[in-house]
Amino acid sequence: MYRHRLFLTFLAAALLLAETGCWSSNEIEDLSMYTALTMDTGQPSQVEQTFEKEGGSYFKDNKITVTIEIVPKQSYENSNKTADTGAKAHNYVNISETGDSVLEILRQFAIRLDHPVIGHHLKVIVISKQLLQEQRIQDLMDFVLRDNDIRPSCLILMSEGRAADILKTKYGDEIPAFHIRGMTRNRFRNNRIMKGIITSELDALMYAKKTFVLQNIVEANQEVEFSGGGVIKGDTGKWIGNLDQQDIESIAWIKGEVKGGTLKTYNPDHKTVTYEIKSAKSKISAKMNKDHQPVFHVNIESEGRLIETWKNPGLSSKKEYLEKLQEIFEERLAAMIQSLMQKMQSDYKVDVAGFGDRLAVEEPQEWKKLKDHWDETFSRTPVTFDIKLKITDFGSFIE
Amino acid sequence: MFERSDPKITSTQAAIFLTNTVLGAGILTLPRSVTESAKTPDAWISVLLGGGIIMLVIVLMVKLSQQFPGKTVYQYSRQIAGSIPGSFLSMLLIVYFIVIAGFEIRVFAEITMFFLLEGTPIWAIVIPFIWVGGYLVFGGINSIARVYQIIFPVSIFVLLLCYFFSGRLFDLNHLRPLLGDGIMPVLRGLKSTILVYTGCEVVMTITAFMQHPQQAVKAMLTGIGIPMVLYLITVVMSIGGLSVDSVITSTWPTIDLIRSFEISGFFFERLEFPLLVIWMMQMFCNFCSFFFNASLGISQLFKLKMAPIIFGLMPFIFLATMVPVRINDVFAIGDAIGKMGIGIFFLLPVLLSLILIVRRKGLKQNV
Repeated sequence: MYRHRLFLTFLAAALLLAETGCWSSNEIEDLSMYTALTMDTGQPSQVEQTFEKEGGSYFKDNKITVTIEIVPKQSYENSNKTADTGAKAHNYVNISETGDSVLEILRQFAIRLDHPVIGHHLKVIVISKQLLQEQRIQDLMDFVLRDNDIRPSCLILMSEGRAADILKTKYGDEIPAFHIRGMTRNRFRNNRIMKGIITSELDALMYAKKTFVLQNIVEANQEVEFSGGGVIKGDTGKWIGNLDQQDIESIAWIKGEVKGGTLKTYNPDHKTVTYEIKSAKSKISAKMNKDHQPVFHVNIESEGRLIETWKNPGLSSKKEYLEKLQEIFEERLAAMIQSLMQKMQSDYKVDVAGFGDRLAVEEPQEWKKLKDHWDETFSRTPVTFDIKLKITDFGSFIE
Repeated sequence: MFERSDPKITSTQAAIFLTNTVLGAGILTLPRSVTESAKTPDAWISVLLGGGIIMLVIVLMVKLSQQFPGKTVYQYSRQIAGSIPGSFLSMLLIVYFIVIAGFEIRVFAEITMFFLLEGTPIWAIVIPFIWVGGYLVFGGINSIARVYQIIFPVSIFVLLLCYFFSGRLFDLNHLRPLLGDGIMPVLRGLKSTILVYTGCEVVMTITAFMQHPQQAVKAMLTGIGIPMVLYLITVVMSIGGLSVDSVITSTWPTIDLIRSFEISGFFFERLEFPLLVIWMMQMFCNFCSFFFNASLGISQLFKLKMAPIIFGLMPFIFLATMVPVRINDVFAIGDAIGKMGIGIFFLLPVLLSLILIVRRKGLKQNV
């Protein structure tokens, strides 16, 4: 009996041998997490050129330059130390490599860095406009969609200039990727910010060969700004043109995605008047006319506040004045939307404001026939608008 | 009072047994397989319709089993169809259960290797799984039913929590138009929904273990109703959250749905990890059901003791797990199981019922 127990005790103790931890675990301190990834046209950096001169090259074509922003483990120590001395050191390291396979490039970092890079915390992917003119977005994003580390919640953006320049900041210990992610949360303040396309949505758009808009980001003197969007044509997967900030606003109005922001115009005296959007709704209705061509009507309704009005003395906040202003704002919005329609239907011949999606819902049979050449069909499609803005109050100042 | 030596389970336990047998790996691929064949957002109707059909099938199976109280399909099939044909049908069912058991572990291993334990060899995931499963099956139907009772609420809670949070991606327009292409896509989607209900054949054995077999119809319909509702929520949330186009191109759409958002400030920022870990237990239940039913079948067919059979089956299940080489093979086996399921349905409950009716009513035999 005693022996039997002793044997069991040893057997149980032997289990401890298996308790050495996870099978293939990696300590977090030994990993380099990258929070942003950018893609540019292939231009080897100074360092890479020197490496190549020294014989550091392999079988490749310099098609793309991938830059990743690594948030190193030392960041925490650094930020504490530099706080004392007053000097500001960055909390991130940007590193570039050129080649023609995204994964090969990422693996190539392993022969330059002491820690392997992992994509679990990738927040934003920025692709430069120039690269999107040269390569199909389907090819560029293929690895990202297949990889198991990179999450489908990752945000995709386009940059006007070189994408790698976006990953710089002059605000001390800030991390650019988090900064950009934070900017997208400001939609309730400014409707020039798009809802943003995340990887799982991009997947659907590319599969359905739909034309879409990527938020465009511009950089100047280590500061960044969202500036309109780049139109990516569905069937070619390439960049065909830009939309400006105002067009992004108009798209939000048409799609009913306005969450806040302003509408500014000038009153008959050429003085500034600003409307603060409190709520906005939109409804696109699709119909087929007698010739089996689609016809759209968009109904936009909004309520808001007269928040700023520069005026000549003598004018008052009377009801007639408000109604006059309402009309002026409506005209302004109509003009903005017309300018977008002009770009969509005549300049680029694309639909990026959700008209096709609406037709698919309302007339699924007709949509099936039209969807393969929808962009072309849309450029000939009549769209009418009905815009109603209502100024419900004028803030805490009354004359 | 707390110890029971007779192999009997309550009606609730029977319902949970069926739920845990059916609800497994299927939930992770269902949105893709069903939208792939339906190609419209109406895929969720296929799931409902498929569930309705399966419910009828289950009623038939229960009614058949109720004719032979306390006997499993392995025993009464011989009584109905004669010794040799009956044994042959039982063998088919046993092989079918072994194949599903292997398939379930394989899917589980594939997901674990891809998302959770990258670099862990497949045998290190599969073998402990089979061993622990064997240990549970040794305990007999009572132990199994009790383990299921513990796991069931936990796994369902975590799953529903994930879907609740995925609501932030939900867009009703992704589910529209309703029946835009008519009813045909729904019918096309129907064949993919059959696979996710496979395993419901265990009804023909658990009815025999029920303490109150007269409640079997109600218990079994509840047991299949729960997975049906969960499948419906899965498809609705995946299509609503990701849209049809994204679901079709995703290998594991349900996991991709959960991976498409992050909840900062919540206990877990990334819900796919708790989900996968908890779902592992669900797949374990799944596997144990098939393991138990296969070994029970062999034991009753050849009048052998359970213990050696459980050990003897382990290598076969391991082989069934390791046969597919690529992930395509795994999915192909999944499709094959769906087709086998239909075959089994016609060969066992339908054929046996027909023979029984002919012998009892037509030939007035005392079966």
